[in-house]
Amino acid sequence: MQSSNLLKTWILVLMLLSGALPAQAQLTIDVIGGGASQIPITVLPFGNEQRYEQKVSEIVSADLRRSGLFRLGAVGSRRPFPTQVKDVDYEYWRSERAQNLVIGDVMPRAEGKVEVRFRMFDVASESQSLGFSFLVDSRQLRATAHKIADLIYEKLTGDIGVFSTKICYVVKRGETFELQIADADGYNPQVVHRYDEPIISPQWSPDGTRVAYVSFEQRKAIIYVLNVFDGSREILAAYAGSNSAPAWSPDGKRLAVTLTKDGVSQLYLINADGSGARRLTYSQSIDTEPNFSPDGRYLLFTSDRAGSPQIYRMRVDGSDDPRRMTFEGGYNVTPRYSADGESFVFIHRNQGRFNVAIQDIASRQVQILTSGRLDQSPTFAPNGKMILYASEIKGRGILAAVSSDGRVKQRITAQDGDIREPAWGPLLNNRRKESPE
Amino acid sequence: MNKVIIAFSVAFLIVGCAGQGQQVAEIEQREIFEQTPTEAERETAQAKANKQAQIAREQEELRRQLEEQQRRQDAVDQQASDFDEPVIRPLSDDSFGDTQAQDDPWLQLNEPGSLLAERSIYYDFDRYDIKEEYVPIIEAHADFLLTHPELKIKVEGNCDDRGSREYNLALGQRRAESVKRAMTLLGVEEDRIETVSFGAERPVAFGQDEASWAQNRRSDIVYVDQPG
Repeated sequence: MQSSNLLKTWILVLMLLSGALPAQAQLTIDVIGGGASQIPITVLPFGNEQRYEQKVSEIVSADLRRSGLFRLGAVGSRRPFPTQVKDVDYEYWRSERAQNLVIGDVMPRAEGKVEVRFRMFDVASESQSLGFSFLVDSRQLRATAHKIADLIYEKLTGDIGVFSTKICYVVKRGETFELQIADADGYNPQVVHRYDEPIISPQWSPDGTRVAYVSFEQRKAIIYVLNVFDGSREILAAYAGSNSAPAWSPDGKRLAVTLTKDGVSQLYLINADGSGARRLTYSQSIDTEPNFSPDGRYLLFTSDRAGSPQIYRMRVDGSDDPRRMTFEGGYNVTPRYSADGESFVFIHRNQGRFNVAIQDIASRQVQILTSGRLDQSPTFAPNGKMILYASEIKGRGILAAVSSDGRVKQRITAQDGDIREPAWGPLLNNRRKESPE
Repeated sequence: MNKVIIAFSVAFLIVGCAGQGQQVAEIEQREIFEQTPTEAERETAQAKANKQAQIAREQEELRRQLEEQQRRQDAVDQQASDFDEPVIRPLSDDSFGDTQAQDDPWLQLNEPGSLLAERSIYYDFDRYDIKEEYVPIIEAHADFLLTHPELKIKVEGNCDDRGSREYNLALGQRRAESVKRAMTLLGVEEDRIETVSFGAERPVAFGQDEASWAQNRRSDIVYVDQPG
């Protein structure tokens, strides 16, 4: 059974890599609200892009609009659209009130490749602010468009763009549970594991190559690590009782997990190959949902040691007693550090509702960010600007996202099935803010 | 003015650039809270003391219930021996007074209306202490296990779907453990009781109301290897 299941996963991933998986229900993202002051930008259709299925300028526009931080300007009445530097009439674009103007083209090149070129101009100063060329396979046009959106986002907001990242989540259809991976905009959903028992708590490894998750396929909670490249799967922890709540250390070498092998749920540290389990907490209470600080020195976790579930922080080296972090209300769970380690999001029970809240660690200031009936499983975008979480509409599970200042809200729905347990993947390569020079 | 166009080919595979490590932001972690260690210690010590007191209370309650049950049973036994009533049992066609039916533990377990037929313990939200009304069920199963040393059980803890899935998984484990602890206090060997938790993942009621939630906050006693 184990091996046939592994085989199934293998086949799925092979199909995934060859791009042959039957089309899945696409996710739909609706944006509600917007940033305090939206940055005006005009993205013109790229020259020659109509020849390809994936329209680069449309994908770039959709990415920027979805972030809630940009206001997309009208494309004007002049035809043809400029695609070269020399064709840009600054005076006309000033009259159209354009401030940041993006042009580009898509040209076929040798060996089936395509070259995508784009430039962004600052209309006021009549100068180019950004310009890149990409030589890619034509099937990578969507990924290239996300890359362009990332570059524009970084140039104009100063923050790292996350349009090229992946998200992982669980879809429940009837009695079947699917672990899926999709682009951050909901496109290209791929089933990487499917079983007729619950799957919870997927977590990306920091290098984006593996996903740890909890499956009940053996009629109890066991932690698996799935290699998203080749579909191979290994058991990380299958001790007596429950094995759950995997959390990767920032270097990807270890995971903090919750085990009940010694009785009540306690935190343990375990090597990424499943060896060397070492107990971290010694309480008579529930300790679970560990989450590493970005520097790897601390863990936030949920514990009911004071009678109700609250969030605590401990040193990974165990050199200090855990310190209570949350004091408002009687139910605070699922802590997740922000990328800068200065705040954390969690689920706060708020007058019978369960909502995403964010707490600044220094000031202890708490802000409730969402208003659903039952919001769960918050996960930060790697740039810390958005929080993806599970919510529901009319009893059906959906994903939603909220900006860390609470202003921008997105709702993500699958065409069928309950969608839940999101995990936002890491930046794919070791990127810093990029500039043309 | 930047006229430089940096050309680079981008190989976007499903999860690109595996060789490159994740950039680890070096962030100085600040110690912020004014909460003094003594406060924290006091709080932890208080919590421990409370927990221990609670456990002691629960144990005392179970012992009391057990003794009460024993007294009642003794009284019944006494009555039975006083009158020495004839035992009348129907005989099936192919067996001549065979006592197998009475000795078959599975038949006893499933006798309608008996305490043994009850297999679920219910809880309040975010609680795992066993309410008094469910103590007789636990005692009945503990007695049964003591008279049938070959049997083993699994206790499955469950929760309603509100709050955190992972916390609920831990809470379900705790609920299952509370049943196990009660039974071991009554003399059942620890290694005959396995505990598992399904958290909020196996609801039996699907409504979003207290009636449904209450049904999902439970521990189920499951006899291992029960036929059928």
